[in-house]
Amino acid sequence: MEHLYLWPANPAASLLALWILSQVFLYAARAPMHKALQAVSRLFAGAFRIAARWCRSMAAGVVRRDREMVIDMGKGDLEAKIGREFHRIEGAFGKELSRYPDLHRKIDDTVIKVDADFQECASSAPAAPGWSEAVNAVAKMPTSGDRVVQKLLEEIHKSAVAGEKKALQDFRDATAKRHRILGAMAPLWKELTKLAGEVSSAVTSALESTKRIDGYMESYEKVRKGDEKAVRSLSWSSTQLFVVSVLILAVAIGGAFVNFNLIALPMSELVPSGSRIGGMPVATVAALVVVLMEVAAGVFAMEMLGITSFFPKLELLPRSRRRMILGVALGGLFMLACIEASLAVLREQIVDSSSALRQSLAGQSMVAETASSRIPVIGQAVLGFILPWILAMVAVPLETMISTGGHIVLSVMAGLLNLGGMLSRLGGHAMRYLFEAARHLYDIYIVVPLQIERLVGTASGRSTGDGRTAGANGAAALRPEVRR
Amino acid sequence: MKRLALAIAALCASCTSGAKYAHAVVALVDVSGTYADQKAEVVNVIRRGLLPRLGPGDTLVVIRIDAESYTRKNVEASVKLDLRPSKANAQKLAFAGQLDEFSRRSVRAPHTDIRGAMMLGAEYLRETGAGRRTMIVFSDMEEDLPPGVKRDLAKDELAGVRVVAMNVKRLAADNANPAAYRLRLTSWEKQVTSHGAKEFKVVLEPEKLADLLDEG
Repeated sequence: MEHLYLWPANPAASLLALWILSQVFLYAARAPMHKALQAVSRLFAGAFRIAARWCRSMAAGVVRRDREMVIDMGKGDLEAKIGREFHRIEGAFGKELSRYPDLHRKIDDTVIKVDADFQECASSAPAAPGWSEAVNAVAKMPTSGDRVVQKLLEEIHKSAVAGEKKALQDFRDATAKRHRILGAMAPLWKELTKLAGEVSSAVTSALESTKRIDGYMESYEKVRKGDEKAVRSLSWSSTQLFVVSVLILAVAIGGAFVNFNLIALPMSELVPSGSRIGGMPVATVAALVVVLMEVAAGVFAMEMLGITSFFPKLELLPRSRRRMILGVALGGLFMLACIEASLAVLREQIVDSSSALRQSLAGQSMVAETASSRIPVIGQAVLGFILPWILAMVAVPLETMISTGGHIVLSVMAGLLNLGGMLSRLGGHAMRYLFEAARHLYDIYIVVPLQIERLVGTASGRSTGDGRTAGANGAAALRPEVRR
Repeated sequence: MKRLALAIAALCASCTSGAKYAHAVVALVDVSGTYADQKAEVVNVIRRGLLPRLGPGDTLVVIRIDAESYTRKNVEASVKLDLRPSKANAQKLAFAGQLDEFSRRSVRAPHTDIRGAMMLGAEYLRETGAGRRTMIVFSDMEEDLPPGVKRDLAKDELAGVRVVAMNVKRLAADNANPAAYRLRLTSWEKQVTSHGAKEFKVVLEPEKLADLLDEG
């Protein structure tokens, strides 16, 4: 600062002179300075405005893309569901309809039998038992005293009684026979009921499927039309799936870590190389490769089982080849599981040996083996065998995460772009007001010459008799930044 | 195709020798004067604190400090651990046997040639090409060269080596004047660091040796 002094011996006078010089210079440069500040303000505000607009348009584009993706995903999902239902119906109908001629024949046979039995029941109807009245009438006939007539009547009565007995017997026999026929019809009725039940359950199942298809079709129609509610629901469902798959993958990564640690140490016995890859010993890399191979085998197995669809080309393969690849994947997994189990046993042996060595070096006698000393070995072997199969399941959440990840990434991008747009808008406003404040500060600094100018302007206005104009000019001079 | 070639090249470039990550340790054991009585304790420290800490691929050399230490005869035991853990454990057991034999043998030197042992140890360390090199000196750090013996360390004699003075025994004179003991250690620190050593540390407790090795 001192080197700016005009008179170094007199700093006060120097500072005053500098101040006066700065006042004169800044007053003279006021108009161009204001213009410059205004221009810079416009430049920055414009740049921020353009950035905000770009962010907004990009965010809108991303949201549009996300929406399209969600709709496509939803359509694909619903199409798959509808396809699956049709497949079920096809299967059910194929099964039921193939049985239908047989069922129909059975029903026909049963109905014919029932009809025949019914006819038989109807055709063997016994005569009405009217004998008792005839017997009574004969019994009540007055005897004229004639022995012959009386005897005759008695004979008639006897034969009437015998006829009545026979008629009754016939009636009972016929009724018993009809009951037997009707009794034999009961299983037929039961069978008919059962067959009707089967038909009913098949029809009910088909009706339920059609109801489900109706529901899916309704949803599909909504999604196809881009219904806001349906799209929101799909978006939420995707987010849920993503979160769940990420959680499951995190658990699987934990499992992979345990698996890796289980085989890393014994792997150094199998791969005793001193080289390193990327700073990691080859044995460690080999253990990592084994874990990744398990995941890869799991991905192929899931693909061949039709649970995931990572590789569309594999779906086009004939069934026999698919079965072959599935066999190879499962066989590979089994082999890897066996290797891991044996490595786990080897690991336990190495750990035991190291522990014994440490004790021996420390001069301690060997601790007697505990009764449960086999348990860790068995546990590790089982763990080594099971973990590869569990890791193989990772393919399912992995696929879900990848398929729903696009939506999440686009949503986050849209959010960030919106945030960027908002911040840019705020930045634009901040720049405008900042430069306006700078202009005001500039005027505050040169307030003395401005006031002098105002006073001179007022005086000259009075002398010309046009004070109002002068005042207005002065005010305008004081506020050149007033917007036109 | 170019990308594949580049990827393979990158993979090859990332493959490095394991020696860079190995740890080589040289233990210098003083058997002269009053420190000769400490031999059994020193062997114990090596057995319990040092040997179990070494892993496959690491190297351990034990050198005796006596009147003239710069000879191969002073190498009491040496081992480069195999990369297979089971083999390495067997080697450690054999090495412990050699140490026991050294401990049982009665040796007492009339003079103390610490720098000669340091020079020999530094040569062994250089030969291993290990990424981490540590020299542990079990001595009272009082050098007493026999007449006619000259020991001049090269400027980079201990380049990249950590020197640890372990279990430094205080002499009778040190008890009367601790400043002499401290001055002795300071002069050793200056000497080893001026000849390229990464650092010079004094460790009193054997338990701390393990942590120190892990740090390196």
